Amino acid sequence: MFDMLLNGLGLVASLSTVILVGAGLVIGLLVGALPGLGPLMGIILLLPYAITFPPVQAMGFLIAIYVGGSCGGAISAILLRIPGTPLAAATLFDGYPMAQKGRAADAIGIAISASAIGGAFGGLILILFSPSLAAFAAGFGPPEYALLAITGLTAIAAVSDQSMLKGLIAGAAGLLLATIGTDEFTAAERFTFGLFELSNGFNIVAIVVGLFAISEMSSLLTGDDLLKRPELSVARPGFRSAFLVLKRWPNLLRSSTIGACVGALPGAGGVISSFTAYAVAKTFAKPEERYGEGAEGGIVASESANNATAGGALVPTLALGIPGDAATAVLIGALLILGVFPGPTLFAQHSDIVGGIFLVYMLANVALFVVGILMTPLFVYVLRLRKVILIPTVLLLCAIGTFAVGSSIFDLWVMFAFGFVGLILRAGGYPLAPMVIGVILGPLLENNVRRSLLLSNDGLQIFIERPVSATLLFINVALLICVAVFALRRLTAGRKPDILQGSA
Amino acid sequence: MKLRSIFAGALLALTAISGPALAEYPERTIESILPAGAGPALSVSQIIAEAMSKELGVPLTVLATPGAGGIKAFQTGLNKPADGYTIIDGYVAPLVLQPILKKADWNFEDFIPLHAAASNAFAIGWRTDETRWSSFEEMMAWGRENPGKLRYSSGQRNNLPHLVMARVLQSYQVVAQNVPYKSPPAANNDVKSGILDFAFVNVGNYKQDPEALKIGLVLSEQPAAKAAFGGAPSIAEIDADLGISGLAPMGWDWWLVKKDTPADRVETLRAAMGKAMNDPDVRAKIERMGFVPLDWDHTNYVEIVSGVRDQLSTMADAIKWEEDALKAVK
Repeated sequence: MFDMLLNGLGLVASLSTVILVGAGLVIGLLVGALPGLGPLMGIILLLPYAITFPPVQAMGFLIAIYVGGSCGGAISAILLRIPGTPLAAATLFDGYPMAQKGRAADAIGIAISASAIGGAFGGLILILFSPSLAAFAAGFGPPEYALLAITGLTAIAAVSDQSMLKGLIAGAAGLLLATIGTDEFTAAERFTFGLFELSNGFNIVAIVVGLFAISEMSSLLTGDDLLKRPELSVARPGFRSAFLVLKRWPNLLRSSTIGACVGALPGAGGVISSFTAYAVAKTFAKPEERYGEGAEGGIVASESANNATAGGALVPTLALGIPGDAATAVLIGALLILGVFPGPTLFAQHSDIVGGIFLVYMLANVALFVVGILMTPLFVYVLRLRKVILIPTVLLLCAIGTFAVGSSIFDLWVMFAFGFVGLILRAGGYPLAPMVIGVILGPLLENNVRRSLLLSNDGLQIFIERPVSATLLFINVALLICVAVFALRRLTAGRKPDILQGSA
Repeated sequence: MKLRSIFAGALLALTAISGPALAEYPERTIESILPAGAGPALSVSQIIAEAMSKELGVPLTVLATPGAGGIKAFQTGLNKPADGYTIIDGYVAPLVLQPILKKADWNFEDFIPLHAAASNAFAIGWRTDETRWSSFEEMMAWGRENPGKLRYSSGQRNNLPHLVMARVLQSYQVVAQNVPYKSPPAANNDVKSGILDFAFVNVGNYKQDPEALKIGLVLSEQPAAKAAFGGAPSIAEIDADLGISGLAPMGWDWWLVKKDTPADRVETLRAAMGKAMNDPDVRAKIERMGFVPLDWDHTNYVEIVSGVRDQLSTMADAIKWEEDALKAVK
């Protein structure tokens, strides 16, 4: 391993690599922060430019966009209550309340530090355990993915503070929305009403931007302070944010591990890891930490997890040649164009390239910390804009970002429609995040349950015959018992659990 | 008044100057709509688009539009104006196969071809420590003895590998369960771990780890395809006559525009794509991806594509046969 890194050092140690990584991070932070765009879009757009460089430099540039983009979504989540990417949806629970309390710079600093440290932790796991993690991930089949999706869905309980019943309703609505489109197993169209635009279901970006951004901007419009300049003393964030994060090392370590492990599973993704890490952190937190009201630990959990996922996703990508997510699928494409075939052969024949990619990934995370903290004042300036300028600007950026994903006017209508849905849900006190969790995990759950049943000839034993599947089933049962215990604890604390009473 | 006259004069002059410039095509970004998501096909399209962009002097972006076996991408393209700013990446599945399966109502002659792009050969592979069989013929014999027991994946359902594999199984009268997967690498992974018995493998996946799967049958009779899969047996060497040859059992695409696109714009795009496809750097990059750059220009389109359509039409009932046969053994 040490030889591999040493060989790779020769490919990384150049000024041009450092500049490319820095440029990639700035681009990544911007595409992540702008609602609609995200790391995937950034990587796709810049792939033609990246492949003009040698493999390790090209990877440095693209991986930096991936790392920056995975973190950038937190910035708009914290400042505007709009997750720039679905990855940051769990960050707004505590990030936005913290910003409202005048600690926006701290919140962003914590998000960037947690992302950088979590990402670096994911990198360490990538470097140290790539072959064994790849073997672990290779053993995951349809039954395991189905049960992992259920684990992700249990996070709904953690993010539905006000009313678990309403959270479950929103989550179920998300699952139902996920059924729209072409059925993978029969090729039949479901609930598309003859609209070809729906043949692949709703665009998740249009849903997230609509639910969070459009509804948030619409509710801001109702205020009477549209022309007033917000009187906020915006403190300059410092590198001390890292200490605030390191102070919460058990949370950091746990969330990064969740992120890296989930990332190593192809197709699982950062949304599962950030919500799961948030839910676990909240479970272990003391009541005085007040999760959901601006707890630093909440940001640490979701941001360290989603960036560690990026490191984890590189494990199957490099070790097996199986993309961990859509962004790493494009990274594989870039490597193939450059004549590098990821997989075990790459480790055996081009250990210098593997070592170089490991090193640029670590460099990107270190640089994220520096570049991110330096750029934070620019982002925080957003809070000082008059709402009369802020609202149309955000709406325009939302429209551009959503349109850019599929160059589709239909997606813009979907965005506005979900903005309306978001407004109704907010008015009724329904949490928005469970709907996003449902939409994202729905296909993972449905397709893998059906695939498992096809494989087992409709027998449910497939879920308990396989050791990993049986373990996940046990974990899911334990999690559900935990949720029930929490509900009982609230009951004994004198508050009726709203799952029983049916309202917040 | 004087100011207004000057302004009006300036506007008129500007219009006169900009008139011919505006008439020049292309003057803005051109989109190529790809009927696939992120993956090797996107990268191949981006290589060609980048080279064409240099020729045309405007950006040419590739819009990954997966869904409904490529139909969504085609319908997205067909709903755009026929102005030369939208190219449809005419992959064989939505262009030829979906109309054969009656999932789409267009014909390949409803489009104007620019140039052929690239082809990609397929093979059938199983795990290297398989003990039940050591050759394709032995696997078929095992499958005949155990109807409905073999589980395989062609990636997505109703795609070209599914049709070709169903046709192969039909020829051997082997009833097997098709298990759809969104991405071929995920299916290959489940073959390696023993969840599936065999799956389709493309050249790119094979090259990533040639030792991971044993290639049992190359689904092309062409020597180049056999060589790309390390000399594995091909359909030219098996007992069954599948009635498919040339491009018919392979993945390929031909870049297209809508029928009413102005002829001069079509010529501009054809010239740019022709140059791109002859660029040694472009060809080398495509080849490194495991794809084969194609040399045919628009004059070969009808002959080549109609030949593929005729061959695939004869196999159209294979998927239906597979479904019925599976129901019968369950």
